[in-house]
Amino acid sequence: MNVEISELSRRFGRTQAVAGVDLRAGPGVFGLLGPNGAGKTSLLRMMATVLPPSSGTLRLLDRDPGSYGPRREIRRRLGYLPQNLGYYPGFTVAEFIEYFALLKDMPSRQVPRAVAASIEQLGLGGKARAKLRTLSGGMLRRVGIAQAIVNQPELLLLDEPTAGLDPEQRVAFRALLREFGERATVIVSTHLVEDVAAACSEVTLMDAGKIVFHGTPDELIAQGEGHGVGDAPLERGYSAVLAAARS
Amino acid sequence: MTKGPDMTDSHGSLPGPGPADIDLDRVWTGVAAEVWRRRPGPVERLASRLLRSPGLARALLTTPSLLLGWVLATVVVLLAGVAFTLSTGTPWVALVAPPVAGAGIAYAYGPGIDPAWELSQSMAISDRMVLLVRALAVFGLNALLGLVASAASGAAAAVTFGWLVPMTAVCALALAAATLTRSPNVGVLAGLAGWLIIVLGERVAAGQLTAAVTSTALILPYLAVAAGCVVIAVYATRTPRGAA
Repeated sequence: MNVEISELSRRFGRTQAVAGVDLRAGPGVFGLLGPNGAGKTSLLRMMATVLPPSSGTLRLLDRDPGSYGPRREIRRRLGYLPQNLGYYPGFTVAEFIEYFALLKDMPSRQVPRAVAASIEQLGLGGKARAKLRTLSGGMLRRVGIAQAIVNQPELLLLDEPTAGLDPEQRVAFRALLREFGERATVIVSTHLVEDVAAACSEVTLMDAGKIVFHGTPDELIAQGEGHGVGDAPLERGYSAVLAAARS
Repeated sequence: MTKGPDMTDSHGSLPGPGPADIDLDRVWTGVAAEVWRRRPGPVERLASRLLRSPGLARALLTTPSLLLGWVLATVVVLLAGVAFTLSTGTPWVALVAPPVAGAGIAYAYGPGIDPAWELSQSMAISDRMVLLVRALAVFGLNALLGLVASAASGAAAAVTFGWLVPMTAVCALALAAATLTRSPNVGVLAGLAGWLIIVLGERVAAGQLTAAVTSTALILPYLAVAAGCVVIAVYATRTPRGAA
Protein backbone atom coordinates (compact mmCIF):
# COMPACT_ATOMS: atom_id res chain seq x y z
CA MET A 1 0.00 0.00 0.00
CA ASN A 2 1.37 3.41 -0.93
CA VAL A 3 -0.93 5.26 1.45
CA GLU A 4 -1.99 3.92 4.84
CA ILE A 5 -3.89 6.31 7.04
CA SER A 6 -5.43 5.47 10.36
CA GLU A 7 -7.52 7.74 12.59
CA LEU A 8 -5.84 10.78 11.09
CA SER A 9 -6.99 14.13 12.45
CA ARG A 10 -5.99 17.71 12.00
CA ARG A 11 -7.23 20.63 14.02
CA PHE A 12 -6.73 24.36 13.42
CA GLY A 13 -7.57 26.04 16.69
CA ARG A 14 -11.22 25.16 17.32
CA THR A 15 -11.80 23.97 13.77
CA GLN A 16 -11.58 20.24 13.16
CA ALA A 17 -10.44 20.12 9.53
CA VAL A 18 -9.90 16.35 9.37
CA ALA A 19 -11.55 14.08 11.91
CA GLY A 20 -10.37 10.49 12.28
CA VAL A 21 -9.87 9.52 8.66
CA ASP A 22 -8.94 5.97 7.65
CA LEU A 23 -7.72 5.38 4.11
CA ARG A 24 -5.62 2.85 2.24
CA ALA A 25 -4.56 3.22 -1.35
CA GLY A 26 -2.37 1.26 -3.74
CA PRO A 27 -1.75 2.02 -7.41
CA GLY A 28 -4.70 3.63 -9.20
CA VAL A 29 -6.47 6.95 -9.51
CA PHE A 30 -8.44 8.01 -6.47
CA GLY A 31 -10.88 10.88 -6.52
CA LEU A 32 -11.31 12.97 -3.41
CA LEU A 33 -14.68 14.70 -3.55
CA GLY A 34 -16.48 16.94 -1.16
CA PRO A 35 -17.92 20.41 -0.63
CA ASN A 36 -15.80 23.42 0.31
CA GLY A 37 -14.37 23.03 3.80
CA ALA A 38 -14.80 19.24 3.80
CA GLY A 39 -11.14 18.72 4.67
CA LYS A 40 -9.85 17.54 1.28
CA THR A 41 -7.01 20.03 1.03
CA SER A 42 -5.91 19.47 4.64
CA LEU A 43 -5.86 15.71 4.05
CA LEU A 44 -3.88 16.17 0.85
CA ARG A 45 -1.40 18.53 2.55
CA MET A 46 -0.80 15.94 5.29
CA MET A 47 -0.13 13.33 2.63
CA ALA A 48 2.26 15.77 0.96
CA THR A 49 4.17 15.99 4.28
CA VAL A 50 3.54 19.72 4.33
CA LEU A 51 1.12 19.71 7.25
CA PRO A 52 1.65 17.61 10.38
CA PRO A 53 -1.34 15.67 11.67
CA SER A 54 -2.72 16.52 15.10
CA SER A 55 -3.22 12.82 15.80
CA GLY A 56 -3.41 9.47 14.07
CA THR A 57 -0.92 7.55 11.98
CA LEU A 58 0.24 8.09 8.45
CA ARG A 59 2.44 5.83 6.33
CA LEU A 60 3.42 6.78 2.82
CA LEU A 61 5.23 4.50 0.38
CA ASP A 62 5.79 2.08 3.28
CA ARG A 63 7.63 4.75 5.26
CA ASP A 64 6.93 6.90 8.30
CA PRO A 65 7.03 10.57 7.30
CA GLY A 66 7.61 11.49 10.94
CA SER A 67 11.31 10.68 10.68
CA TYR A 68 13.79 12.75 8.71
CA GLY A 69 15.34 10.05 6.52
CA PRO A 70 12.12 8.33 5.47
CA ARG A 71 10.41 11.68 4.93
CA ARG A 72 13.17 12.76 2.58
CA GLU A 73 12.85 9.49 0.70
CA ILE A 74 9.07 9.95 0.45
CA ARG A 75 9.55 13.46 -0.90
CA ARG A 76 11.92 12.19 -3.57
CA ARG A 77 9.13 9.92 -4.82
CA LEU A 78 6.30 12.38 -4.34
CA GLY A 79 4.56 14.69 -6.80
CA TYR A 80 2.40 17.44 -5.37
CA LEU A 81 0.30 20.13 -6.96
CA PRO A 82 -0.99 22.54 -4.30
CA GLN A 83 -4.35 24.23 -4.65
CA ASN A 84 -2.62 27.59 -4.97
CA LEU A 85 0.52 27.13 -7.00
CA GLY A 86 2.89 29.94 -6.21
CA TYR A 87 5.41 30.60 -8.93
CA TYR A 88 8.40 32.78 -9.68
CA PRO A 89 7.29 35.22 -12.37
CA GLY A 90 10.80 35.64 -13.78
CA PHE A 91 11.37 31.93 -14.29
CA THR A 92 10.69 30.28 -17.62
CA VAL A 93 8.54 27.16 -17.76
CA ALA A 94 11.61 24.95 -18.18
CA GLU A 95 13.53 26.71 -15.39
CA PHE A 96 10.63 26.35 -12.96
CA ILE A 97 10.24 22.63 -13.58
CA GLU A 98 14.00 22.10 -13.52
CA TYR A 99 14.29 23.95 -10.22
CA PHE A 100 11.79 21.68 -8.51
CA ALA A 101 13.30 18.59 -10.12
CA LEU A 102 16.59 19.55 -8.46
CA LEU A 103 14.88 20.20 -5.12
CA LYS A 104 13.35 16.74 -5.39
CA ASP A 105 16.92 15.53 -5.34
CA MET A 106 16.80 13.98 -8.79
CA PRO A 107 20.23 13.06 -10.14
CA SER A 108 21.27 16.19 -12.03
CA ARG A 109 22.20 14.24 -15.16
CA GLN A 110 18.63 12.98 -15.48
CA VAL A 111 17.02 16.36 -14.93
CA PRO A 112 17.15 17.96 -18.43
CA ARG A 113 15.57 14.96 -20.13
CA ALA A 114 12.97 14.55 -17.37
CA VAL A 115 12.07 18.24 -17.64
CA ALA A 116 11.72 18.00 -21.42
CA ALA A 117 9.58 14.88 -21.13
CA SER A 118 7.20 16.43 -18.60
CA ILE A 119 6.92 19.62 -20.66
CA GLU A 120 6.02 17.54 -23.70
CA GLN A 121 3.56 15.43 -21.73
CA LEU A 122 1.68 18.56 -20.76
CA GLY A 123 1.86 20.00 -24.26
CA LEU A 124 3.88 22.98 -23.13
CA GLY A 125 6.66 22.62 -25.70
CA GLY A 126 5.81 25.88 -27.41
CA LYS A 127 6.01 27.73 -24.11
CA ALA A 128 9.09 26.07 -22.61
CA ARG A 129 11.13 29.26 -22.73
CA ALA A 130 8.28 31.64 -21.91
CA LYS A 131 8.37 33.51 -18.61
CA LEU A 132 5.75 32.31 -16.17
CA ARG A 133 4.35 35.82 -15.80
CA THR A 134 3.24 35.73 -19.44
CA LEU A 135 1.15 32.56 -19.08
CA SER A 136 -2.60 32.18 -18.63
CA GLY A 137 -4.11 30.50 -15.56
CA GLY A 138 -4.69 27.25 -17.45
CA MET A 139 -1.10 27.22 -18.70
CA LEU A 140 0.22 27.82 -15.20
CA ARG A 141 -1.87 24.92 -13.94
CA ARG A 142 -0.26 22.70 -16.55
CA VAL A 143 3.18 23.93 -15.49
CA GLY A 144 2.23 22.96 -11.93
CA ILE A 145 1.22 19.50 -13.08
CA ALA A 146 4.46 19.18 -15.09
CA GLN A 147 6.58 19.89 -12.02
CA ALA A 148 4.52 17.35 -10.06
CA ILE A 149 5.22 14.55 -12.54
CA VAL A 150 8.80 15.44 -13.48
CA ASN A 151 10.27 12.84 -11.11
CA GLN A 152 7.86 10.08 -12.22
CA PRO A 153 6.37 9.99 -8.71
CA GLU A 154 5.07 6.87 -7.03
CA LEU A 155 2.60 9.02 -5.13
CA LEU A 156 0.99 11.88 -7.03
CA LEU A 157 -1.21 14.32 -5.11
CA LEU A 158 -3.16 16.87 -7.13
CA ASP A 159 -5.36 19.54 -5.59
CA GLU A 160 -7.91 20.87 -8.08
CA PRO A 161 -5.67 20.06 -11.07
CA THR A 162 -8.25 20.85 -13.73
CA ALA A 163 -9.08 24.35 -12.49
CA GLY A 164 -8.55 26.67 -15.44
CA LEU A 165 -8.18 23.92 -18.04
CA ASP A 166 -10.51 24.01 -21.02
CA PRO A 167 -12.62 20.90 -21.85
CA GLU A 168 -10.16 19.53 -24.42
CA GLN A 169 -7.25 19.92 -22.03
CA ARG A 170 -9.26 18.23 -19.30
CA VAL A 171 -9.91 15.23 -21.52
CA ALA A 172 -6.19 14.97 -22.30
CA PHE A 173 -5.33 15.40 -18.63
CA ARG A 174 -7.64 12.57 -17.60
CA ALA A 175 -5.79 10.29 -20.02
CA LEU A 176 -2.53 11.31 -18.36
CA LEU A 177 -4.00 10.50 -14.95
CA ARG A 178 -5.08 7.05 -16.07
CA GLU A 179 -1.60 6.42 -17.48
CA PHE A 180 0.04 7.39 -14.19
CA GLY A 181 -2.50 5.37 -12.21
CA GLU A 182 -1.27 2.19 -13.83
CA ARG A 183 1.98 2.35 -11.87
CA ALA A 184 1.50 4.98 -9.15
CA THR A 185 -1.03 6.10 -6.58
CA VAL A 186 -2.74 9.23 -7.86
CA ILE A 187 -5.01 11.13 -5.51
CA VAL A 188 -7.00 13.93 -7.06
CA SER A 189 -8.98 16.41 -5.01
CA THR A 190 -11.62 18.02 -7.16
CA HIS A 191 -15.03 19.66 -7.24
CA LEU A 192 -15.72 18.28 -10.68
CA VAL A 193 -17.52 14.95 -10.53
CA GLU A 194 -17.07 14.42 -14.27
CA ASP A 195 -13.30 14.23 -13.73
CA VAL A 196 -13.88 11.51 -11.17
CA ALA A 197 -16.26 9.62 -13.42
CA ALA A 198 -13.83 9.70 -16.32
CA ALA A 199 -10.51 9.05 -14.64
CA CYS A 200 -10.86 7.52 -11.18
CA SER A 201 -11.02 3.88 -10.22
CA GLU A 202 -12.11 4.74 -6.68
CA VAL A 203 -13.75 7.71 -5.09
CA THR A 204 -13.73 9.02 -1.55
CA LEU A 205 -16.32 11.55 -0.48
CA MET A 206 -15.54 13.80 2.48
CA ASP A 207 -17.80 16.02 4.52
CA ALA A 208 -17.04 17.94 7.71
CA GLY A 209 -13.61 16.35 7.97
CA LYS A 210 -14.84 12.77 7.73
CA ILE A 211 -15.02 10.20 4.98
CA VAL A 212 -18.69 9.57 4.31
CA PHE A 213 -18.28 7.32 1.29
CA HIS A 214 -15.54 5.21 -0.23
CA GLY A 215 -16.05 2.98 -3.25
CA THR A 216 -16.02 2.91 -7.01
CA PRO A 217 -17.70 5.57 -9.13
CA ASP A 218 -20.35 2.99 -10.06
CA GLU A 219 -21.08 2.38 -6.38
CA LEU A 220 -21.46 6.13 -5.82
CA ILE A 221 -23.83 6.31 -8.78
CA ALA A 222 -25.86 3.50 -7.24
CA GLN A 223 -26.27 5.54 -4.07
CA GLY A 224 -28.11 8.19 -6.06
CA GLU A 225 -30.59 5.97 -7.83
CA GLY A 226 -34.02 7.28 -7.00
CA HIS A 227 -32.54 9.95 -4.70
CA GLY A 228 -30.41 13.01 -4.84
CA VAL A 229 -30.29 16.03 -7.04
CA GLY A 230 -28.07 16.73 -10.00
CA ASP A 231 -27.89 16.41 -13.75
CA ALA A 232 -25.49 13.49 -13.96
CA PRO A 233 -25.79 10.11 -12.22
CA LEU A 234 -22.59 10.71 -10.25
CA GLU A 235 -23.87 14.10 -9.08
CA ARG A 236 -27.04 12.43 -7.84
CA GLY A 237 -24.99 9.87 -5.95
CA TYR A 238 -22.81 12.64 -4.52
CA SER A 239 -25.76 14.67 -3.28
CA ALA A 240 -27.57 11.59 -1.94
CA VAL A 241 -24.54 10.53 0.12
CA LEU A 242 -24.03 14.06 1.44
CA ALA A 243 -27.71 14.37 2.34
CA ALA A 244 -27.61 11.05 4.17
CA ALA A 245 -24.42 12.02 6.03
CA ARG A 246 -25.91 15.29 7.19
CA SER A 247 -29.32 13.96 8.21
CA MET B 1 -1.64 15.27 -22.78
CA THR B 2 0.41 15.41 -25.92
CA LYS B 3 -2.50 14.30 -28.06
CA GLY B 4 -4.84 17.11 -27.11
CA PRO B 5 -5.73 19.43 -29.99
CA ASP B 6 -4.58 22.54 -28.10
CA MET B 7 -1.46 20.88 -26.84
CA THR B 8 0.42 20.33 -30.03
CA ASP B 9 4.13 19.80 -29.65
CA SER B 10 6.36 22.70 -30.48
CA HIS B 11 8.22 20.59 -33.01
CA GLY B 12 4.95 19.94 -34.89
CA SER B 13 4.19 16.95 -37.09
CA LEU B 14 6.94 15.20 -38.86
CA PRO B 15 6.54 14.69 -42.62
CA GLY B 16 6.50 10.93 -42.61
CA PRO B 17 7.28 7.85 -40.59
CA GLY B 18 10.94 7.40 -39.67
CA PRO B 19 12.93 4.20 -39.75
CA ALA B 20 11.35 1.55 -37.56
CA ASP B 21 14.22 1.41 -35.11
CA ILE B 22 14.21 5.15 -34.30
CA ASP B 23 11.93 6.46 -31.58
CA LEU B 24 11.40 10.01 -32.80
CA ASP B 25 9.69 11.10 -29.58
CA ARG B 26 12.72 10.00 -27.64
CA VAL B 27 15.04 11.78 -30.03
CA TRP B 28 12.99 14.97 -29.76
CA THR B 29 12.97 14.78 -25.96
CA GLY B 30 16.77 14.53 -26.03
CA VAL B 31 17.02 17.54 -28.34
CA ALA B 32 14.53 19.53 -26.26
CA ALA B 33 16.41 18.66 -23.08
CA GLU B 34 19.57 20.19 -24.54
CA VAL B 35 17.77 23.24 -25.93
CA TRP B 36 15.72 24.04 -22.86
CA ARG B 37 18.17 23.21 -20.11
CA ARG B 38 19.51 26.07 -18.05
CA ARG B 39 23.28 26.09 -18.03
CA PRO B 40 24.54 27.02 -14.58
CA GLY B 41 27.02 29.88 -14.40
CA PRO B 42 30.45 29.60 -12.77
CA VAL B 43 29.17 30.74 -9.36
CA GLU B 44 26.39 28.16 -9.38
CA ARG B 45 28.80 25.45 -10.49
CA LEU B 46 31.16 26.40 -7.68
CA ALA B 47 28.31 26.45 -5.15
CA SER B 48 27.09 23.10 -6.44
CA ARG B 49 30.54 21.62 -5.90
CA LEU B 50 30.97 23.16 -2.46
CA LEU B 51 27.51 22.20 -1.25
CA ARG B 52 27.54 18.86 -3.06
CA SER B 53 23.99 19.54 -4.15
CA PRO B 54 22.88 21.12 -7.44
CA GLY B 55 19.45 21.72 -5.86
CA LEU B 56 20.86 23.71 -2.95
CA ALA B 57 23.10 25.68 -5.28
CA ARG B 58 20.14 26.56 -7.49
CA ALA B 59 18.04 27.47 -4.45
CA LEU B 60 20.82 29.72 -3.21
CA LEU B 61 21.41 31.57 -6.44
CA THR B 62 18.22 31.73 -8.41
CA THR B 63 15.26 31.96 -6.08
CA PRO B 64 13.81 35.29 -5.01
CA SER B 65 16.09 35.93 -2.09
CA LEU B 66 16.62 39.43 -3.41
CA LEU B 67 20.14 38.39 -4.22
CA LEU B 68 21.12 41.26 -6.49
CA GLY B 69 19.36 43.90 -4.40
CA TRP B 70 20.97 42.61 -1.25
CA VAL B 71 24.46 42.59 -2.72
CA LEU B 72 24.05 46.07 -4.19
CA ALA B 73 22.61 47.46 -0.93
CA THR B 74 25.45 45.93 1.03
CA VAL B 75 28.11 47.35 -1.27
CA VAL B 76 26.50 50.81 -1.32
CA VAL B 77 26.03 50.95 2.46
CA LEU B 78 29.54 49.77 3.20
CA LEU B 79 31.12 52.12 0.65
CA ALA B 80 29.16 54.99 2.19
CA GLY B 81 30.20 53.73 5.61
CA VAL B 82 33.87 53.77 4.64
CA ALA B 83 33.53 57.29 3.27
CA PHE B 84 31.84 58.55 6.42
CA THR B 85 34.30 56.72 8.63
CA LEU B 86 37.27 58.26 6.87
CA SER B 87 35.79 61.75 6.99
CA THR B 88 34.39 61.70 10.55
CA GLY B 89 36.56 59.19 12.38
CA THR B 90 33.48 57.34 13.65
CA PRO B 91 33.36 53.62 12.65
CA TRP B 92 30.16 53.86 10.63
CA VAL B 93 30.86 50.57 8.89
CA ALA B 94 30.60 48.73 12.16
CA LEU B 95 27.46 50.63 13.09
CA VAL B 96 25.68 50.12 9.78
CA ALA B 97 26.75 46.58 8.86
CA PRO B 98 24.71 44.66 11.48
CA PRO B 99 21.24 45.91 10.46
CA VAL B 100 22.12 45.52 6.77
CA ALA B 101 23.07 41.91 7.32
CA GLY B 102 19.99 41.44 9.52
CA ALA B 103 17.74 42.71 6.73
CA GLY B 104 19.42 40.33 4.27
CA ILE B 105 18.84 37.40 6.60
CA ALA B 106 15.22 38.34 7.30
CA TYR B 107 14.50 38.42 3.56
CA ALA B 108 16.22 35.11 2.87
CA TYR B 109 13.38 32.80 3.83
CA GLY B 110 9.68 32.44 4.51
CA PRO B 111 6.19 32.30 3.06
CA GLY B 112 6.08 36.06 2.67
CA ILE B 113 9.13 35.90 0.42
CA ASP B 114 8.81 32.66 -1.47
CA PRO B 115 5.72 32.51 -3.72
CA ALA B 116 6.16 28.75 -4.09
CA TRP B 117 6.51 28.22 -0.34
CA GLU B 118 3.86 25.48 -0.13
CA LEU B 119 5.50 23.55 -2.91
CA SER B 120 8.97 24.08 -1.47
CA GLN B 121 7.88 22.50 1.79
CA SER B 122 7.17 19.21 0.07
CA MET B 123 10.64 18.94 -1.43
CA ALA B 124 13.37 16.46 -0.50
CA ILE B 125 15.87 19.28 0.00
CA SER B 126 14.34 20.85 3.06
CA ASP B 127 13.48 24.50 3.37
CA ARG B 128 15.54 24.63 6.56
CA MET B 129 18.65 23.54 4.68
CA VAL B 130 17.95 26.20 2.08
CA LEU B 131 17.63 28.73 4.90
CA LEU B 132 20.91 27.64 6.43
CA VAL B 133 22.74 27.99 3.14
CA ARG B 134 21.20 31.38 2.45
CA ALA B 135 22.05 32.59 5.95
CA LEU B 136 25.65 31.46 5.52
CA ALA B 137 25.80 33.21 2.17
CA VAL B 138 24.39 36.46 3.55
CA PHE B 139 26.67 36.37 6.54
CA GLY B 140 29.73 35.28 4.61
CA LEU B 141 29.42 37.94 1.94
CA ASN B 142 28.66 40.70 4.42
CA ALA B 143 31.56 39.60 6.59
CA LEU B 144 33.87 39.65 3.59
CA LEU B 145 32.70 43.08 2.46
CA GLY B 146 32.87 44.34 6.03
CA LEU B 147 36.43 43.11 6.38
CA VAL B 148 37.44 44.90 3.21
CA ALA B 149 35.65 48.06 4.31
CA SER B 150 37.13 47.91 7.81
CA ALA B 151 40.61 47.44 6.43
CA ALA B 152 40.09 50.44 4.19
CA SER B 153 38.94 52.51 7.14
CA GLY B 154 42.26 51.92 8.89
CA ALA B 155 41.16 50.17 12.05
CA ALA B 156 40.71 46.68 10.78
CA ALA B 157 41.24 44.48 13.80
CA ALA B 158 39.27 46.36 16.41
CA VAL B 159 36.49 47.44 14.12
CA THR B 160 36.16 44.04 12.50
CA PHE B 161 35.82 42.30 15.83
CA GLY B 162 33.57 45.11 16.96
CA TRP B 163 31.03 44.61 14.22
CA LEU B 164 31.34 40.86 13.65
CA VAL B 165 29.97 39.85 17.03
CA PRO B 166 27.12 42.39 17.14
CA MET B 167 26.28 41.53 13.53
CA THR B 168 25.86 37.90 14.57
CA ALA B 169 23.44 38.94 17.31
CA VAL B 170 21.41 41.28 15.10
CA CYS B 171 21.22 38.70 12.30
CA ALA B 172 20.06 36.03 14.71
CA LEU B 173 17.45 38.40 16.14
CA ALA B 174 16.15 39.33 12.68
CA LEU B 175 16.06 35.69 11.62
CA ALA B 176 14.24 34.59 14.78
CA ALA B 177 11.62 37.33 14.42
CA ALA B 178 11.16 36.68 10.69
CA THR B 179 10.75 32.93 11.04
CA LEU B 180 8.59 33.10 14.15
CA THR B 181 6.16 35.64 12.71
CA ARG B 182 6.58 34.42 9.12
CA SER B 183 7.14 38.01 8.08
CA PRO B 184 10.45 39.33 6.76
CA ASN B 185 9.33 42.88 7.46
CA VAL B 186 8.90 42.05 11.14
CA GLY B 187 12.37 40.49 11.05
CA VAL B 188 13.89 43.64 9.59
CA LEU B 189 12.06 45.82 12.11
CA ALA B 190 13.14 43.62 15.02
CA GLY B 191 16.78 43.65 13.90
CA LEU B 192 16.77 47.38 13.30
CA ALA B 193 14.94 48.18 16.53
CA GLY B 194 17.18 45.88 18.55
CA TRP B 195 20.30 47.47 17.11
CA LEU B 196 19.03 51.03 17.64
CA ILE B 197 18.19 50.24 21.26
CA ILE B 198 21.67 48.86 21.86
CA VAL B 199 23.47 51.72 20.09
CA LEU B 200 21.40 54.43 21.77
CA GLY B 201 21.47 52.64 25.12
CA GLU B 202 25.24 52.43 25.03
CA ARG B 203 25.39 56.05 23.86
CA VAL B 204 23.53 57.06 27.02
CA ALA B 205 25.43 54.68 29.31
CA ALA B 206 28.96 55.18 27.99
CA GLY B 207 28.60 58.62 26.47
CA GLN B 208 29.77 57.66 23.00
CA LEU B 209 27.92 56.49 19.93
CA THR B 210 30.43 53.80 19.11
CA ALA B 211 30.29 52.02 22.47
CA ALA B 212 28.01 49.34 21.00
CA VAL B 213 30.85 48.19 18.74
CA THR B 214 33.87 49.00 20.86
CA SER B 215 32.87 47.81 24.34
CA THR B 216 34.33 44.38 25.09
CA ALA B 217 31.85 43.99 27.97
CA LEU B 218 29.09 43.52 25.39
CA ILE B 219 30.63 40.54 23.63
CA LEU B 220 29.17 37.92 25.94
CA PRO B 221 25.67 39.46 25.97
CA TYR B 222 25.79 39.65 22.15
CA LEU B 223 26.76 35.99 21.92
CA ALA B 224 24.06 35.02 24.43
CA VAL B 225 21.40 36.89 22.44
CA ALA B 226 22.65 35.27 19.24
CA ALA B 227 22.50 31.80 20.76
CA GLY B 228 18.99 32.35 22.14
CA CYS B 229 17.72 33.69 18.84
CA VAL B 230 19.23 30.80 16.89
CA VAL B 231 17.36 28.40 19.17
CA ILE B 232 14.14 30.29 18.44
CA ALA B 233 14.83 30.23 14.68
CA VAL B 234 15.55 26.50 14.80
CA TYR B 235 12.26 25.97 16.66
CA ALA B 236 10.33 28.16 14.22
CA THR B 237 11.69 26.30 11.19
CA ARG B 238 11.46 22.82 12.65
CA THR B 239 10.26 20.20 10.25
CA PRO B 240 6.81 19.04 11.33
CA ARG B 241 6.49 15.47 12.38
CA GLY B 242 4.41 13.50 9.94
CA ALA B 243 2.71 11.36 12.52
CA ALA B 244 1.68 11.74 16.11
